Amino acid sequence: MSANKPLLEARQLVVKYKNYRAIDGLDLSVPAGCVYALLGGNGAGKTSTINTFLGFNRPTSGNVFIDGESPEQNPAVVRAKLAYLPENVALYEYLSGVENLSFFCTLADIRLSRQHAHDLLANTGLQSDAHDRRVSTYSKGMRQKVGLAIASAKQAKVMLLDEPTSGLDPSAANDFARRIRAAADLGMAVLMATHDLFNAKQVADRIGIMKAGRLVEEFDAHTVAHDELEHKYLAHARGLL
Amino acid sequence: MIVAIIRKELLAVVRDGRLLVLAFSVFALLSGFFLASISEHQQLQQEKQAVGASAKQQWDTQGVKNPHAAAHFGIYVFKPDSPLASIDPGLRHYTGQTLWLEPHKRNGARFSPAADQGLASRFGQASAGFVLVALLPLLVVALAFNAVTLEREQGTLRMLHSLGVSAMQLLLGKFIGLLLAFLLVLLPAMGLAMIILYRNFDLTGDDSLRLLALGASFFIYYAVFAALAMSTSIHFHSSRLALFALLAFWSGSVLIAPRLGAAAAEAWMPIPAATAFWAAIKDDIQQGLDNDGDHEKREALFNVQLLKQYAATRIEDLPVGYAALKRSFNDGYSARVHALHFDRLSDAFERQSRFIHIASLLGPSIAMRSVSMTLSGMDLAHQRHFEDAAENYRHYFIGLTDDWDRERSHGTEHGAQGHDDDWASVKAFRYQSPPVGFALHHALADLLVLLAWLVAALIALLFSAKRLKP
Repeated sequence: MSANKPLLEARQLVVKYKNYRAIDGLDLSVPAGCVYALLGGNGAGKTSTINTFLGFNRPTSGNVFIDGESPEQNPAVVRAKLAYLPENVALYEYLSGVENLSFFCTLADIRLSRQHAHDLLANTGLQSDAHDRRVSTYSKGMRQKVGLAIASAKQAKVMLLDEPTSGLDPSAANDFARRIRAAADLGMAVLMATHDLFNAKQVADRIGIMKAGRLVEEFDAHTVAHDELEHKYLAHARGLL
Repeated sequence: MIVAIIRKELLAVVRDGRLLVLAFSVFALLSGFFLASISEHQQLQQEKQAVGASAKQQWDTQGVKNPHAAAHFGIYVFKPDSPLASIDPGLRHYTGQTLWLEPHKRNGARFSPAADQGLASRFGQASAGFVLVALLPLLVVALAFNAVTLEREQGTLRMLHSLGVSAMQLLLGKFIGLLLAFLLVLLPAMGLAMIILYRNFDLTGDDSLRLLALGASFFIYYAVFAALAMSTSIHFHSSRLALFALLAFWSGSVLIAPRLGAAAAEAWMPIPAATAFWAAIKDDIQQGLDNDGDHEKREALFNVQLLKQYAATRIEDLPVGYAALKRSFNDGYSARVHALHFDRLSDAFERQSRFIHIASLLGPSIAMRSVSMTLSGMDLAHQRHFEDAAENYRHYFIGLTDDWDRERSHGTEHGAQGHDDDWASVKAFRYQSPPVGFALHHALADLLVLLAWLVAALIALLFSAKRLKP
């Protein structure tokens, strides 16, 4: 596989909900090893974009591809390649961290030994005494670590994150960003919808600003200044640009 | 994948404290009703045996008297209830279980004071059967109403979809898991019931087969509620709305449909009042059926044929007792009229029952209630079977007394006498309940209704699967 070949790609993507154009001609590409942060206000189309890559939304026109496969045409193949972490990683409250991990992995056709499950959770930084506790006692950050463990177990090529650091304390957000960066450095393509400019600048390689379903600005996260990014983001959000 | 989902659902039940409370409640409720039913059942059987033995003893020791006078002493017979009646006493309170057998007239146990109650009374007496038919579907609803809405509300549905779990796999796993969880909750109560049943009664192979069929029918019944609950859980986006919708369906099926069906059947297919029923029999006996002629004409014709048969010119000269012969002749005609009217009445009851099943469109509970009563041997068909057997027995012992009366007298003389040896030679009434095949035959329509509900519920689930979106 070529290093430049996009693992995540949207081509002239349009998604309509009845008469409302949630995504309006989106072109986006995220290669392996790249973290792409999608910024934008509420209703800009970030979550709709994630949902379309997940196959939850059907494109009205245009296409999306994950490692060259269409989620519409090959949903099973696509879902085997991606990991998804929503804002609140949804887990079963009455199962422990290990049990949740094993259950979701079984559904993804991955057989985990108990030890392997513990190792995966430990690798995400989840304290070992929490592994066998019910997740009803977990904080949001701990749940996200279980989500990361699922992604790791799947050996997913692509990770879709929807507002992952919302509600996390700074230390947990920083830890999470570090782990996402590490995953990308191992070759994963990451698409992250977020409101968090600091987090986007910290972890992403590229940053896009969405507005009314369109990608209106793109930046190299390594070169754009934080002030410039903030200025552009707020200007778009306030309709000044 | 499906096995993992089933396992997860079961784990949820085991770890969910509320469900343990439910299981305990079900255990207490079902065991309480069952123990009460067993106690009532045993008490009734003991009373029946005691009264039956006492009545036969009295019959056997009537002393020297005219055989027909002895027949008028009459015999009480009792319907021995199946052990399964302790699960579902069915129509016991409605029909009565005792028949008074006497000459000239066929009595009906069903014309008890309860017959004046509404038709709906056939559908509800507090019993283990009532808990199984009416209350346990609520447990299924409690387990299933948020089976999908909760996944949606908690966001796990999106996680499952993102992992490539198809709606069909998810629903199938949840459906099976739900049924297994329900059985798990039910197991302690059912286990206790079976132990009590097998310890207290000598269950025959036929009883066991009936029990098996009953269990299978209830399983279908609960599967209907489970499938509908899951479809509802998919249809509604909120657990609360799903619960309201399911409670409305439960009310319709368990509470409204039987009463609505009964009220409609009473209005459209009324059963004759007891007074009108007996008056019609009396009238037909007096006036005669079709072209038979009235009582006097039939008797005159009988006299002519009798004199011809015995080559006699006067009744007084007959070599056998005339009174007994005339009585046999009249009783024979009376039995024919009785059979005709009783058959019509039974048919009317069956038509009513069938009509009530139109209300099965509102839910499967009417059909399940009927299946439960039939397999427990406590429905109209079994009652009719018992009454027909009792009527045959009435013919047997009245025939015997008429034979003694006829053979021990002649002409118009009334001197025939019988003794204790004669009375004791009358065999006791031994009722043999019909086999399971009889019950299944009579429950067939209701079983088909249940199966139709199951198919409809599964189709609804199938279509719901297509609507399942994260």
